[in-house]
Amino acid sequence: MAVAAGGLARAGRSRRRHLLEQNRVLGPLLISPAVLFVVVVVGVPLGWAIYLSMTNAIGGSLSGKFVGFDNFRAAWRDQNFRNALENTLIITFAVQAIVVVSAAVLSNALVRDFRGKWFVRLLIVLPWAAPVSLVTIGWLWIFDSLFSIVNWTLKELHLLGVVCAAFGVHGCGASNPPQWLGNDKLAMFAIIVVQAWRIIPFAVIIFIAGRSSIPTEVEDAVKIDGASALKKLWYVDLPLQLPIALVAVLFGIVFTAADFAVVFILTHGGPFNSTQVLTTWAYTVGIDSGSLGEGAAISLFLFPLLIAVTILMLFFAKRAQVS
Amino acid sequence: MTAWLAGTWRRSSTWVIVGPFAIVLAFPFYWALTTTFKHDLDLYNQKSIPYTYNDASGHAHWDFWNYMTFHHVSFLFKHTEYPTWLLNTAIVGVAVVAITLVLALPAGYALARLSGAWGQMAGVGIFLVYLVPPTLLFLPLSRLIAELNLQDTLWAMILVYPSFTVPFATWLLMGFFKTIPQELEDAALVDGCSRLKALWRIVFPVSVPGILTVVIFAFSLCVNEFIYAFTFTSSTSERTISAGVPNELIRGDVFFWQSLMAAVLIPSIPLALLYNSFLDRFIKGFTGGAFR
Amino acid sequence: MAKDGDELEVVSSGLSREDLLKRGAAGAFAVSMFGGLAERAHAFAGPMKFKGRQLKGDLSILQWAHFVPAYDQWLDSTYIKQWGEKNDVQVKVDHINNALLPSAAAAEVAAQKGHDMVQFLFPPSALEKSTLPMNDIVQEVTKKLGKMTDVAYRSTYNPKTKRYFGFPDNYVPDPIQYRKSMWFNVGIAPNTWENVRKAAPLLKKAGHPVGLGMSNELDSNMFLMSLLYCYGSSLQDANGNPAINNKGTIAALNLMKDIYQNGMSDEVFAWTAASNNQAFLAGRLSMAVNAISIARSAEDSGNTALSDDTWLRPIPKGSTRALGNEHVMGIYFIWRFAQNKEAAKQYIVDQQLGYRNHFLQSKFYNFPAWTNAVKGGFKAMNKLAAADKHKPLGKYTILTTIAQRYTTNVGYPGFANAAIGDIFNQSLIPQMFAQVAQGKMTAAAAAASYQSQFKTIFAKWKGQGLL
Repeated sequence: MAVAAGGLARAGRSRRRHLLEQNRVLGPLLISPAVLFVVVVVGVPLGWAIYLSMTNAIGGSLSGKFVGFDNFRAAWRDQNFRNALENTLIITFAVQAIVVVSAAVLSNALVRDFRGKWFVRLLIVLPWAAPVSLVTIGWLWIFDSLFSIVNWTLKELHLLGVVCAAFGVHGCGASNPPQWLGNDKLAMFAIIVVQAWRIIPFAVIIFIAGRSSIPTEVEDAVKIDGASALKKLWYVDLPLQLPIALVAVLFGIVFTAADFAVVFILTHGGPFNSTQVLTTWAYTVGIDSGSLGEGAAISLFLFPLLIAVTILMLFFAKRAQVS
Repeated sequence: MTAWLAGTWRRSSTWVIVGPFAIVLAFPFYWALTTTFKHDLDLYNQKSIPYTYNDASGHAHWDFWNYMTFHHVSFLFKHTEYPTWLLNTAIVGVAVVAITLVLALPAGYALARLSGAWGQMAGVGIFLVYLVPPTLLFLPLSRLIAELNLQDTLWAMILVYPSFTVPFATWLLMGFFKTIPQELEDAALVDGCSRLKALWRIVFPVSVPGILTVVIFAFSLCVNEFIYAFTFTSSTSERTISAGVPNELIRGDVFFWQSLMAAVLIPSIPLALLYNSFLDRFIKGFTGGAFR
Repeated sequence: MAKDGDELEVVSSGLSREDLLKRGAAGAFAVSMFGGLAERAHAFAGPMKFKGRQLKGDLSILQWAHFVPAYDQWLDSTYIKQWGEKNDVQVKVDHINNALLPSAAAAEVAAQKGHDMVQFLFPPSALEKSTLPMNDIVQEVTKKLGKMTDVAYRSTYNPKTKRYFGFPDNYVPDPIQYRKSMWFNVGIAPNTWENVRKAAPLLKKAGHPVGLGMSNELDSNMFLMSLLYCYGSSLQDANGNPAINNKGTIAALNLMKDIYQNGMSDEVFAWTAASNNQAFLAGRLSMAVNAISIARSAEDSGNTALSDDTWLRPIPKGSTRALGNEHVMGIYFIWRFAQNKEAAKQYIVDQQLGYRNHFLQSKFYNFPAWTNAVKGGFKAMNKLAAADKHKPLGKYTILTTIAQRYTTNVGYPGFANAAIGDIFNQSLIPQMFAQVAQGKMTAAAAAASYQSQFKTIFAKWKGQGLL
């Protein structure tokens, strides 16, 4: 689009050219293709999804009777929905906590120079390079009910008992190894691990970016002051990294809360519905159970929530930076 | 001597921190690699030592390479359309990245430079589109795809994927363009360049790190996408890896674990190498972009 | 994508030229861009050798990736080619993972475009408004082959609308597969559920627990419903009213709780459809409820000791009866928006009439919906199965007995209506069993709670006019 516009300009009728020099003309002109695209490809279907959420449409037909907010009310009353909402929140926050701590530690180490750094960095970006749906199948194999490598290793290290006790799994031991995808607590844990695992590389990169944006004068000043490492971390690094950490958290939240593949592939919401999250529950209700309207309503629940979080985050990121 | 000791400690202390993380993060790939070359009778044997290769009765041997098999890798290439899926993934990725840049570069620039106070708001607004939940959006979108007669073609994905790459890319590039000194452009304008020319000649070239960030990010989002890829295509030959592999290598009652693991590794490792070698520039792109 | 065959030219990439032209500039670009893919791309089967036959055009079918992969291979490379040549139709079959069939179908309904017909593995009762009534071809086939089996009838007919919303193609008996030697060692035969309850702890002690899944997946779903039947319960009554809150349900729930607590491990809650196969093939399980894919994989695995020790038998008897669901129910349906309805109908009819080959190629996995589709009926099928050379010799002959006497439809004793489909797709029955087994709910509370949940579901589908 830019190229085409450039061609026009070069053709060079002075009046048009003059217009193109004006911000109020050029600005909208440059923005409009993107906006148009987004409106057509996202706006139209989103509008349709909102319409669906207010009808009693079912899977085998396209439209339904208008029912207002009944679907939202029905979803809200459903214990499974509340459970899914709670799981979404738990998973999202737990993952962010793990990711932020890991990324802070890792980025701190990775800005230093050391032998083998290139290779280590390669290992760390690996999870990010793997397609989510495929690598989750890889995790399915890791957590396999019979051939789980985690359980084999724990057993050889005589740690099974410790792990079973830590999770309070009844009757678990060498002959009944922990079922990472078959016990509600363990399955939640497994989902959190996989989500954190795949997001850490991304967060590390953002954190490194954030560190490298700390002006060198600040570093120098701290060195002259002879501040201890801990003090430096607390008073200098952390405040300066706050905005960037917020951005990493923001993306982490979006990646985790809006993800469908990990839970769908790992547990399919089970055992019973104990690991359903909003995305998979919307799928279960909308596709499996055929209640398109209610499914659409459930999937829309997340949207305002994410918008609120995003605006809040961006606001704080801005403030943190200004101060 | 003490300096040497201190240096050694500094080096190894980094390893003490980084090592465990690297092991945990890379472990699934190591495990996938090990699994890929196993015989069925080794894989499905509880007596086998999983970290190495065993004979049919579950005994490990030092010459483990004699107990490996390439059968499942060759199965992937000879009896499934895996190479086609790889190629499809690459085609979709490259096309989407191109579309993303064409749409997001001008938009990001405009929001950064040409659109006063509401630019910031509009930037956030565009970003919010990224948050639209995809779970059930695939239904209305498949209608759109059908209307355009693109069902079961790569074009379906090429058209739809920018819906989540463009918002992010625009937002990122907006931030990035703000870091480029206005003076650079002004100089060009004084020289008699038009604004568009200045954009093309001056601004874009110095934005390479930002653009690279967008490229990598958009590409990885495309490779990850699953629902659209699955529902918009149904011919084996039009699948991308994330839809084709689960569909063809999980046949209801049987998971072809070894081939599945090979299918995970084959795209991941080159992509990781690629990302890693661009990482420094990527970091620069992000530093400039997201936070101003 | 079916269209008139006259001008249709097939380019090697599998896209017709007409197709590309329709897509205009994009198409032209596609040719240059995707030209390289041509060699590997999926082509429509069958060159146009027989011009001028009655049916013309393309026929596209979506169905599951068969659990016996050899069947798909035969279907794609031989059967549809031959049928296509005979009828001058280019047939294309896309296979997808069975768990993803609902979403693929939902997307096609939304798009009002897609394949001409789809084969589901469970009754597509909820899609009735979007599918063509099959009454005419059901009658046609019935005229030729006599009555269809009751399983098939109750899985495809909606008494409320008096329509066949789908065409029953096949059903799959769901036997018990067990390790003869292990059961012999504990001295108990798996012929009643009481015996299974007694044997389970002993087998577990021997390191070979029974494997009865309680997870959100197909095998658990089918089996646990069967268990309800065995104890005189069912999801609904014969008139289509929810009927799960009864003593039978409570007995079945308590039985499974017992078997789980004393004789199984937590793995049964984590299972995918593949897990019981995998655990059985690893030599761990002493029993699983599954279609014959386990026995077949055992034969293919090269572990003859295991394979020879794998025996089949009908579902054990509960307090009331011995009766089980079919393992899957293959049902074709044709979209209202299908482009080539005539060819689709003809394909379905022809496939049923010549089912002998499908029975053989699926290695006795698929049983025809019309028993006489294999000439000679069950007797002939039994004979064919008896010819199987795998040990123990004749093990597959039990399948015809199971099909005849021990197999019923999902939704027994009523029809497989939309509400039943909903309950099935949501895996509500495995969830109920899992909750009770893990002690999250008492059996009585679960029966009552799921009854009220069922009521809501039935009301929803009544509101849609489907029951």
